[in-house]
Amino acid sequence: MWKRFYVVTRDLHLYVGLFLAPLVLVFAVSVFCIVHAPSGQVWEAPSNRVVTELDVSPDLERLSGREQLVALRPVLTGLGVTGEVNFIRKIAKEHRLVVPVVIPGRETTVDLNLENRTAAISVRNTGLSDALVHLHKMPGPHNVNLRGNSGYIRAWRWIADVSSYGLLFLTVSGLYLWIALRAERQIGLVLLFLGALSFLGIVYAITF
Amino acid sequence: MFTIWNRKVHYYLGLYFLFFLWLFAFTGLLLNHSWQFAEFWPNRNVSTFERAISAPRGGSDVERAEDVMRQLSIRGEIEWTATRPSSTLFEFRVNRPGHSLNISVDDAGRSKIEETQFNTWGIMKALHSFTGVRANNTRNQRDWALTTLWVLAMDAVSLGMVVMVLGGVYMWFVLPTKRKGGFAALILGTAICGFFVFALRWM
Repeated sequence: MWKRFYVVTRDLHLYVGLFLAPLVLVFAVSVFCIVHAPSGQVWEAPSNRVVTELDVSPDLERLSGREQLVALRPVLTGLGVTGEVNFIRKIAKEHRLVVPVVIPGRETTVDLNLENRTAAISVRNTGLSDALVHLHKMPGPHNVNLRGNSGYIRAWRWIADVSSYGLLFLTVSGLYLWIALRAERQIGLVLLFLGALSFLGIVYAITF
Repeated sequence: MFTIWNRKVHYYLGLYFLFFLWLFAFTGLLLNHSWQFAEFWPNRNVSTFERAISAPRGGSDVERAEDVMRQLSIRGEIEWTATRPSSTLFEFRVNRPGHSLNISVDDAGRSKIEETQFNTWGIMKALHSFTGVRANNTRNQRDWALTTLWVLAMDAVSLGMVVMVLGGVYMWFVLPTKRKGGFAALILGTAICGFFVFALRWM
C-alpha cells in the first residue's frame, strides 16, 4: 500500500510540476522585473485617437464604484477598448473620467469628457516585462470592488490560485519523496535546517 | 553524472527554500483573497508620540531622514510620501513588515511620530511585496540594508525555482514511459501561460 502511495505521489508531483512549470517561470521571472524595476522607464510613444459625438450619459460621473464601471463598460466596448479597468479617476471640475484599461503588455488610457461627449484614447505597448509583472500582481489586494471586471482577470484569478495551491502541493509531496530516500536524509535535514535558519533569521531581523 | 546531480540539486534547492516557498505561495493566496480570518487593517494599532531631537543633519533628504531615525532609534525602509504641505516640516514614512511610521520634524527639532503596528497577517502580506521600490517611481529607492538582504533572498528563491523547473523538466524527459502524459501536462500549462502572456494583446 505504501509503495502504491509513493508511486502515485511521485507521478502527481511529476505531472502537476510539468503543468505548473510555465506558470512558475512566469511568477519567478516576474520577480526579477518587480524587484529590479528600472526607475523612470521610457515607453515607446503611444498611439492616440479622438472620438467625438460619443453616446454617453453625463449621469455617468454621478455614479461610483462597481455601478459606474458597469455603466462605463458599453462605452468602452463601443470605442473598441477591451481589458481590465484598473481604476476610474474622476476630474470633477472638468467633467472628465480618466480610465486606464489594461491587457498584459498593453495599456489603453481613455480620457472621457462627459460635457463635450468626446474620448481621447491613448494606446501604449508596455512590453513583455510589464505583462509578466501585471500578471504576477493580479488580481491583488487593491481596488477589490473593481477587480475582476474583465473575463481574462476572472480566469487568471483561478490560474493564480491553482499555481499557489499547486506549489504548496509540490512542496509537501516533494518533502514526502525526499523522506523516502534514506541516503539523502542527513544532508536533506542539514539543508532544511539551514534554510529555516536563513528564513527565520532574515524575517526576525526585518520585522523586530 | 549530470542526471544524478541534477536530481540532487532539484531536491536540495527545494529543501533549502521550503520555508520561503511556503511563505510566498501562502501569502499569494492571502493577497488575492479578502479572507476575513486574515484581515490586518481593521486590527491595526495606531499610536502617536512626540520627541525633542536635534535638527536633522545631512546634505541630502535621505541623510537627514537617516539622522532623524538614528536619534529616534527607528529602523526601516524610508518612503517619501506626497508633496510636503509646509516648507518648515520635514516629513517621511518608515516601513518594515508589521510597522509603518509617519514622521514629521519641524525646524525647532520637535518630532511627531505616528506609529501603526499590524498583526501577523499584516507582517506576512508585507513580506510578500517588501522590495523598497516601486515601478516608475524615481523618488523612492532602496536604502535599508535589510531590504536589500530580503530582495536578495527573493532573487535567490526565484532563481532557485527556475533551476528546479528546468531540472525537473530534464528529469521527466529522460523517462520514456512518462513522456506522453508529461507532454500533455506541459503543453496544457504552456498553452494557458502563452494565452495570457502573449495572445491576449493580439486579440
